[in-house]
Amino acid sequence: MTSKGIDRRDEDEVCPVCKSSRYLNPNMRFLINPECYHKMCESCVDRIFSSGPSNCPVAGCRKTLRKNRFRAQTFEDIGVEREVDIRRRVMQILNRREEEFDTKRNYDDFLEQREEIIANLVSRTNEAKTNAQLAKYATENEQSIRTNLALEEQEATSFQARMTLEQEEAQRRRQIARQEYENERREIQAGREDFLSRLASGTTADANTIARESSKVHLKKSSARRSEEDRIRLKQAALRGSETKRGTPLSNSEIAGGADSGLIKGLKKIKTPEPEKPYDPFMGLVPEQRDYFTLRESYPSTFLERQRQNVQGSAGGYDLREYYSRTMLEAFAGLGVFVGEEVSKREEEKSVLPTATEGAAIAAVSEK
Amino acid sequence: MAASPFASRSPSMTVASPNTAIRLKASAAQSGSGSTADVKTSTQPNGELTEQLNDSVAHNYERGKKLGEGTYAVVYQGFRRDTATTVAIKKIKVNADYKDGLAMDAIREVKYLQELSHPNVIALHDVFSKHENLHLVLEFLPGGDLEMLIRDQDVQYGAADIKAWMGMLARGVWFCHENYVLHRDIKPNNLLIAADGEVKLADFGLARSFADPYLNMTHQVITRWYRPPELLYGARQYSGAVDVWSMGMVFAELLLRVPFVAGNTDLDQISKICEAFGTPTEDNWPGVTKLPYFIETDSSQIIPTSGRDFFSRQFPTAGPVGADLLMSMCTLDPRKRITAVQALRHKWWTIDPQPTKNEDLPQKRHAEKKMAEDMSRRGGEVNDGPFKNAARQLDFGAR
Repeated sequence: MTSKGIDRRDEDEVCPVCKSSRYLNPNMRFLINPECYHKMCESCVDRIFSSGPSNCPVAGCRKTLRKNRFRAQTFEDIGVEREVDIRRRVMQILNRREEEFDTKRNYDDFLEQREEIIANLVSRTNEAKTNAQLAKYATENEQSIRTNLALEEQEATSFQARMTLEQEEAQRRRQIARQEYENERREIQAGREDFLSRLASGTTADANTIARESSKVHLKKSSARRSEEDRIRLKQAALRGSETKRGTPLSNSEIAGGADSGLIKGLKKIKTPEPEKPYDPFMGLVPEQRDYFTLRESYPSTFLERQRQNVQGSAGGYDLREYYSRTMLEAFAGLGVFVGEEVSKREEEKSVLPTATEGAAIAAVSEK
Repeated sequence: MAASPFASRSPSMTVASPNTAIRLKASAAQSGSGSTADVKTSTQPNGELTEQLNDSVAHNYERGKKLGEGTYAVVYQGFRRDTATTVAIKKIKVNADYKDGLAMDAIREVKYLQELSHPNVIALHDVFSKHENLHLVLEFLPGGDLEMLIRDQDVQYGAADIKAWMGMLARGVWFCHENYVLHRDIKPNNLLIAADGEVKLADFGLARSFADPYLNMTHQVITRWYRPPELLYGARQYSGAVDVWSMGMVFAELLLRVPFVAGNTDLDQISKICEAFGTPTEDNWPGVTKLPYFIETDSSQIIPTSGRDFFSRQFPTAGPVGADLLMSMCTLDPRKRITAVQALRHKWWTIDPQPTKNEDLPQKRHAEKKMAEDMSRRGGEVNDGPFKNAARQLDFGAR
């Protein structure tokens, strides 16, 4: 580029911190820090910030700067530099994609809102509030931000790959075309020579037929070539089609989570799959549920005394407590069951489902 | 038909109100007289009530192709006429041993299955008699059984799958015990798998209710490899602990993919159990010496009870917590053995890995033959050799 021009203009450029000029030090580089965008030369940065973070040396600026944040300036205008930085930062946080919105209108609103936020930050109106908003959004939507970021990266790389592929393709096409042109020219040449030689060797009577034949051959060849070209074109189209098909799952494979955030409106409602319930070994049934009595450890009974003394029985695993529990259960079984109600319920079900047979209805009732 | 005393055992009858007969006649009259059974009932309005009921139940089902035949039953595929759901129809053979009645197995099966309704217990839809034969209409379980999955070297499964299967087994056993029914024949053969992968406890041919005092039960139950030591020692009064031992053996078999303690005779089984888990003594099992068939072991040959390390070492797949559950299922003293409820409360179910979902469990498709084989076998029967019942297993009707 016009490096010479820049050099000349920069000749009298002076570092605002150490006042050394490019005239004395032609290799001088200027760095800025996105914290305050004050320009200073590389040696100043080394000098001041090598031993850790320190205050900006420009008078009146109290920002604490770190050495690793210093970088070369991209744009000459510091204002543009700053706006680009802000834009990059905001875009990285508010990176919702069009597919995530219910309607196009909502997406447009979102874009406008984003521009507004950027403008606010650039012009420093409501800066603190906007920043707080952004930070809140970033923490709330960390997951979706990260997935969208990954998607963008993927798209960028696939786009790059496609570009190089297309370039190669074009080059190959050009080469084929050139070769074909060459072949054609050579064939025409050969045909013409052949025609001439045949004319020369043949009699005058043959002259007309030979002329007709040669023109026919020429036509045939050109039509064959055309069909060949068509074939190649079709093949390429098919190739491109398959590529785009391969490309589509990329954009569809979103795992974005989170519904409407406070900041952005009109996001598609994403159904989060219900959290998996912990495994219940009893599958909903309640073990040892007794509604009408509490089981005691032992019930005095002379009838059971002999069984209690039976060593053989207890060594075999027999337990009187099971007997107590079973007897009590059977004594109270059926309490709270009203056959009349069940019958009327069954009749209702029968009238609702005329096809259901007696057996099915009974089964349905008895299952309850 | 009046000779079929079990028609009244049909589940439809157990919940029917006194006006069943009236409703039945009405429905028979409504449903037209297109088929033979209807003609029969409508032409014989004076037939006995039980007979009418039986016919109406029998008419509900259409018998399909034969799936298998065993020592005591023939199993057919069938379907309900009205809903077209597939069922398995088990026809009990009129056995030479029970000329005057029915095989005990069939009575037990009907008696206990019609009381139990749980996702992990095979459902008995109906019972009817036809041509002097008892037919049980059972749930159709085309997934084969657990034994098939254990033996098939092509099937790969892991700790999560075992946990899912054991969970279903434990729930089924717990439900039986909660209703005071002992299964008394738990083994991989009798754990059938439904189309959706659910494991169902089947074959209640040896089942009975328990907890009655002064009532002796037989000790000749449960297939030998899964039989607990108290039954081998001839205990006549026992509890749900016998099923829990079998469950433990199934658990061990799922982990090892071979039967864990497989004795050739009852005595051999006892000695194998002693080798694996330790010798029962008065110390670790008070009262064991009083059991009828207890055999004193020479004090020099007493093997100490195996601890937690043994199980962790032997069953690394289960993890330390799973090994702990297995150990408590295989405790020698039935009183110290974990109960089915306690087993379900064990922390193994809640720790990682989570049990596999039913639809992701390894499965065998179209194993109806296997189901039929399991259903038609007499309880406690083992296929000893490759030629046992070879003649019976030849299926001349096969295409």
